[in-house]
Amino acid sequence: MLKVQNVSYRYDSWNWWRPRSEESSVLRDVSLDLEGGCCLGLLGTSGAGKSTLGKVVLGLQRPNKGQILFEGQDLYASGGQLRQRIRREIQVVFQDCYSSVNPLMTAAQIIGEPLRNYERLSAGELRRCTGALLEKVGLSAGDGSKTPDEFSGGQLQRINIARAIALRPKLIVLDEPVSSLDRVHQSLILELLADLKSSLGVSYLFITHDIQAAMALCDRVAVMDRGEIVQMTDKPLSLWESESPTVRSLTEAVLPEHPSLRRSLS
Amino acid sequence: MSKSRQRVFKGQPTIVICSIVILLFFIIAALAPWIAPHDPVKVDLTQKLDGPSAEHWLGTDQLGRDNLSRLIYGARVSLGFAVMIFVSSLILGTLIGALSGYMGGWLDNLIMRVCEGIMAFPNLVLVLGIVGIFGPGLTQILLALMMVQWVYYARICRNMVVSLKGRPFIAAARVSGSSSWQIIRRHIIPNVQRPIVVMATLEMGWAIMDISALSFLGLGIQPPNAEWGAMIHEGTSHIRSHPELMIYPGILILIVVITFNVVGEALSERYGVVKR
Repeated sequence: MLKVQNVSYRYDSWNWWRPRSEESSVLRDVSLDLEGGCCLGLLGTSGAGKSTLGKVVLGLQRPNKGQILFEGQDLYASGGQLRQRIRREIQVVFQDCYSSVNPLMTAAQIIGEPLRNYERLSAGELRRCTGALLEKVGLSAGDGSKTPDEFSGGQLQRINIARAIALRPKLIVLDEPVSSLDRVHQSLILELLADLKSSLGVSYLFITHDIQAAMALCDRVAVMDRGEIVQMTDKPLSLWESESPTVRSLTEAVLPEHPSLRRSLS
Repeated sequence: MSKSRQRVFKGQPTIVICSIVILLFFIIAALAPWIAPHDPVKVDLTQKLDGPSAEHWLGTDQLGRDNLSRLIYGARVSLGFAVMIFVSSLILGTLIGALSGYMGGWLDNLIMRVCEGIMAFPNLVLVLGIVGIFGPGLTQILLALMMVQWVYYARICRNMVVSLKGRPFIAAARVSGSSSWQIIRRHIIPNVQRPIVVMATLEMGWAIMDISALSFLGLGIQPPNAEWGAMIHEGTSHIRSHPELMIYPGILILIVVITFNVVGEALSERYGVVKR
């Protein structure tokens, strides 16, 4: 469904006198494949280029090299209406739930924004739709009139998820969706995402640095390091035994379950 | 809105009083033709430089014109033009600033360098230069002040837009299919308008000072029309015998500027706005 082909990306500063170098590349020749109804984990430490890849897939940042093919169509080559139609199928949930919502809008307006952009609904239909979406993510329809400062982080992330599923997209890019939440809400949100995946048949590109979260949700995992994919596996559990230093650094970061398992921090 | 207003003013009588004073000035300015006891430009040399009396509460000036009526009509010019400068530079500055911040790149650079160029001069010097080119008169002053005032709004607005643009909800709006125009209308303008209006309240005091200063220098309103700054100027020739001719308009300018500043400060404290 989604094909990322040899994508390279470099953050350009506007200073024309600053020489360009390959060193400043955030993504280097990245290729990925994602089938429908599947969850692909993108694992890596910060600075590995995961989020940049997410933005490239979302159509927010044009790659310097390479292509993003969604159902065979090049996201960046197609213009106008076709591009809008492809875009509709790819939605997003960002890490920072607080600044992912406009503080001046109500929950119903936030969730209704994609619907207003793509579908001609009457005010009543829109209210019914947003109410149903709120219930689908575990809030009540009455929460629609509240503003973001009346919600907790976990609830806000549910609103962000509701906005992402509003258009019934085929792919949702989850950019660290649980990293700003506490452990309890992390597992609740992961559960919700797993439910939605099976009930809506949506695919996820799940960007995270948390190997346990990736294990909980993903069918396949790609490990990134410094702009490159260093490992790709259909069996996420095999990562625990991996010898690669990048993967080791991620598995060793998991907190011990018992004090006796503490590693010395020498 | 009424709820937030109550919260702003709760337990702060100074601000309530200042707001009422401002409102009162605007009402007086609007109703000048009906409440002024005399014609402000009617010369009566038999009554020149009279002291306070039942007919002329604040006495008369060197041409026998009623001081109170001149002060009331003067409020019209000072406040009216301050509001015009305020509105026009606010709109111009906000639009240019929003465009600059949203587009970024070379356009942003160009606009910001122009702003810095204008800000490098003291306001009054630049206005004097512009008025020097176009000649004295209220319209010219209005244009000149507008040309220097918009940069402050543009800069603040631009910076707010740049910081808003990096927020994930703008990216989320783009992903959910909103066009640039829809993003500006739904997300950017609502988030910048309140701080900008608060800042503008602070700028109002400055606008009144600038208009009065220019009129004092003889560049603004032309005689015989009344304006506070011009009245102070006319009073200078009688400063020893009749200092009240300068004191009355001076006090009014002081009151208006202080009240605007108090209200503006309170609002900016409440909404955390950066001052220039």
